[in-house]
Amino acid sequence: MSLAKHVRPVLAVLGLVIAGPALSHHSFAMYDNTRSITVKGTVSKWQWTNPHAYLEIDAPGEGGAMTHYVLEGTSINLMVRAGWRSNMIKVGDKVTAVAAPTKDGKASGLLLEVTFANGETKNMSIPEGYTFKRTP
Amino acid sequence: MYKSFVSFLCLVCFAPLVSAAQQASKAIPDITGTWETIRDTKRVIVDEKGGARPQYQNAGAQQAKLKPEFLKEREARAKIASEADARGEPIVGRTAQCQGNGMPSMMNGTFPTEILQSKGQVTIIQEIYTQVRRIYLDKPQKKLDDIEPGFYGHSVGHWEGGVLHVDTLGIKAAWNMNTPNSDQIHIKERIYYAADGTLRDEITIEDPVVLEEPYTYTVSYRRLPDYEMLEYVCEDNHYYIDQSGKQALRPETQGK
Repeated sequence: MSLAKHVRPVLAVLGLVIAGPALSHHSFAMYDNTRSITVKGTVSKWQWTNPHAYLEIDAPGEGGAMTHYVLEGTSINLMVRAGWRSNMIKVGDKVTAVAAPTKDGKASGLLLEVTFANGETKNMSIPEGYTFKRTP
Repeated sequence: MYKSFVSFLCLVCFAPLVSAAQQASKAIPDITGTWETIRDTKRVIVDEKGGARPQYQNAGAQQAKLKPEFLKEREARAKIASEADARGEPIVGRTAQCQGNGMPSMMNGTFPTEILQSKGQVTIIQEIYTQVRRIYLDKPQKKLDDIEPGFYGHSVGHWEGGVLHVDTLGIKAAWNMNTPNSDQIHIKERIYYAADGTLRDEITIEDPVVLEEPYTYTVSYRRLPDYEMLEYVCEDNHYYIDQSGKQALRPETQGK
């Protein structure tokens, strides 16, 4: 049986498309690298997993209404190498997070840094994170 | 006098054996350990708004001279992907499905690489997605038809003059990171210590279906002497992809 199947150019549907801001593994192109948002609130979830960690915060959004933010981190392997530990954040902690917002305007973004309840600030170690602009 | 003569005889008789053993051990460098890829961290692209973002690409893929029909398809795919990104609905690639990079991309070493030399085999483990490939030493390469196509292919190798020559066949046809390969892809590697003490993997890609001509690129690594490899379980994830191809929230089953 011949296994010589050639790659034929296929301009049809490429396959799977993912809806929603939070994703298993993909590029960071969906995040706006020209501005950042600051989210100050209470941690409702801290997911310490690969491919990416996730931090969910309930905080007053733009306009004041309580908003549920889903902020994506990077691989916990990168984070561990940069000195992070899963026990640095707990559900219920009051934190301030700086993130690059998603381009679609939803309450989500790419986590750039976190200031913990104790006042300490830690960078998220996003690969080439310096390309994401911080704006006041 | 007699003792000295015997000693002399021993020296003469065994010296060549000892030196041959030394030569043999010298001929196979010790490449066992954990390695970090030496990379240019300033690879960025500037988008329409003037914002810069990281450009992740296969180390050598930009050198690939694709045949016209594949170039055309690459452009079409790039356009679809960029429109999907803009909608906030990125196209799912191999990594989004937790499938890892496969060969040759795993040798780019996104995360640390572990090399283990054992009798008759060199095993290479890439931390990201916990990818494993095995190089069988001093064995003939199989015929393509006898290899079940896969992500990593079938690799054989031999040491010669301090260089590990590796031959890989049997990688399944795919579009990976917007670079195509056919099932005819044939990867040849030369793994060796450079003069500066870094480890090099000189990778040559031959693919007569997809490429105008073969191309070669080199990935360099430095040792991580005290590093313990971390696990990477991609499937331990908040979301999963359901049968319709949509992202669905996993029910809370996190056991601790």
